[in-house]
Amino acid sequence: SALASPDPTHFEGFGEEDALESDSEEFEDGPIEILIPPPTVTQSNFETHHGPPEPSSPEPKPKPSSSSFEYWDEDEFEGLPIDPSPRTENPTENSSSPPEITQQSPSPKTLPSRSFHVEIICVSFLISFIINYFTGKRENENIALAWASCFATKDTIFDKNFSLLGTGDGKDTPLLLKEGQNIFKFYASGRRYCQGLLATMELQSRHDLLSRIYNFVVPCKDEITFEVYMNDENMDHVLFAMARKKLAKVIHKEVRDLQRYAGLLSVPMNRKWVSEELAVMSESREVASDLITEAVLDQVFGEKAFEKFGKGFISFHFSDQHAGSHRKMLVFKFSLPNANNMADMTRLVALVPYYIDLVGRYKLSSQARSKTEAARAKAAQEIYKELQNVRQEAIQRKKAERRKLMEEAEAKLSAEALRKKEEKERARQLKKTMPKVKMTRAH
Amino acid sequence: MSHSGGADPRMPSASKPYASSPISATDLPADYSGFFAIAFGIVGLMLRYKLCSWLAIICCAQSLANMRNVENDLKQVVMAMTVQFWMCIDCLDCKF
Repeated sequence: SALASPDPTHFEGFGEEDALESDSEEFEDGPIEILIPPPTVTQSNFETHHGPPEPSSPEPKPKPSSSSFEYWDEDEFEGLPIDPSPRTENPTENSSSPPEITQQSPSPKTLPSRSFHVEIICVSFLISFIINYFTGKRENENIALAWASCFATKDTIFDKNFSLLGTGDGKDTPLLLKEGQNIFKFYASGRRYCQGLLATMELQSRHDLLSRIYNFVVPCKDEITFEVYMNDENMDHVLFAMARKKLAKVIHKEVRDLQRYAGLLSVPMNRKWVSEELAVMSESREVASDLITEAVLDQVFGEKAFEKFGKGFISFHFSDQHAGSHRKMLVFKFSLPNANNMADMTRLVALVPYYIDLVGRYKLSSQARSKTEAARAKAAQEIYKELQNVRQEAIQRKKAERRKLMEEAEAKLSAEALRKKEEKERARQLKKTMPKVKMTRAH
Repeated sequence: MSHSGGADPRMPSASKPYASSPISATDLPADYSGFFAIAFGIVGLMLRYKLCSWLAIICCAQSLANMRNVENDLKQVVMAMTVQFWMCIDCLDCKF
C-alpha cells in the first residue's frame, strides 16, 4: 500500500488542479482525506474490478474509451494499480468533494426539481378564501336584512310595539348593528313594562372558508336571541324556563338560578299542556301553568301547532334572578329560517310582546309568593354566609401576615436588643404577678 | 295572536337609547387562528419548512376575517402580519 500513498500526491495535480485553486479551504482537508482512505479503498476495489463493473459507481470505470478525463493517456499508466478511478470515487463519497462541485456548476439550469405543489395549493386556497369572504359576507347580510325587513321596519310587529327602533337615538338610526361578519344586533325601546329589547343574531360564519368546511362536519344553525330587560316593579318572582328535553337537562345544570330555584315539572293531568317534546322548568307549578296559557298552546306549543310552527323554537328563560348586569330579564332563543322564508317565524316572534305583557301584569298568588319568598330568603342567607366566610378568611390572612412581619422584625433585631426586649417582657410579667400595693400619701 | 292589552303598548317616554356595554378583551372568544398563525409562523421560520409558513399565512387570513372588534384584534393581527412578512422573505431566499 506504500506504493499507493506517494502516488496520489503526483496524481493530485491531475484533474483536481482547478478545484484546488477555486476553494482554498478545501485544499487543507482535501489531500489528508485522500491519503487516509485510498489504501483501504484500492484493495477492495482492485479485486472487484475484475468482476462485473460496479453499477452503482457514479463514474464509468476508467476503461480507456470511457474515461471522463480528455487528456487520459493510458500508455503512461500501464501496469500501475488503477488508482485514479477509486480516487475520483472516494471524493464523491464524502460530501464536500471538489469534483462534485465542478459537476454541479456546469448545469445550474436544472434546479433540483422542487415541487411547487405546496405553493399552487396554498395560493389557490387563499384566492378561494378571499372570494368566499365576500360572498359569505353578503349572504349573512342578506339574512339579517331579510329578518329586519320582515320584523323591524314600518308597521311590522316591532314597530307596533316599540317606539324607538335601532341602535341610534335619532330618526335615521341604522336598524342593525354589525359586530363582526356574523353577529348582528337589533335594539328596540320605549314600551310599557320593559326598558328595552336586544335581539342578537348569531349566524354561521359563512364568510370564513375554514369554518364553512368545519360546519359540513359539525352543523350549526343560525340563532337569534331576544333579551327583554324588564322594569323592576313589573316583574314578580317569576322563574320559568322551557326547552326541548335534551337541551332542558343541559340548561338545568348549567344556569345557576335555574339550578338553585327551579325544578323540572311533570306534565299536569288536569289541563292541556305543551307538546311532549318540550320540558318545562319552573320554581312553582302555579307560575308555569299561568304562563302557559290557552292562546299560546293553540297558536304555537300545542301538539299539532308545535309541529307546524314550533320548528324554530329553541328555548325560553324568564327569571328575576338573572346573573349578570340586569336581574330581571326574559330571554327567548329561536333558530332562524333561511333568508326568503323568514315569515315562518312570525308566530314565534309574536310571542315576545305577548309574554312581555303577560309577565308584566302577572302577580303571584299569596301562597305561591310565600313559597318563593322563603326560597329566596334561604338563598340570600347562603350568599350572605359565603360572603361572611370570604371576609373571615381575608381577616385571618391579614393577621397571619402581620404576625409573620413581626417575627421577621424580631429576627432582624440584634441580639442585645432582643435581650432588652425580654427583660422588659419579664419586668412586665413580674409587675403583673405582684400584689396590688397602693401608695397613699400621708395626710 | 290577540294583543290582550288593546291600548297601544308603545310608550315613547320610556325609550332609552342603546348603551352598548363595553365588552372587555378577556371575555372575547379566544382567537385560535391568530395563535396558530404565529405558532406555524415561528415553526416555519425555524425549520425552514415551507408548508408551515404557508399554513401560517392561511391562519392569519382566517383570523383577519374573523376579527370582531377592531382595537383588540388589531394588535394580534399586526403581529401575525409581521411574522408572515419575515417568512415570505425567508421563504424566498431559502429557495435559491
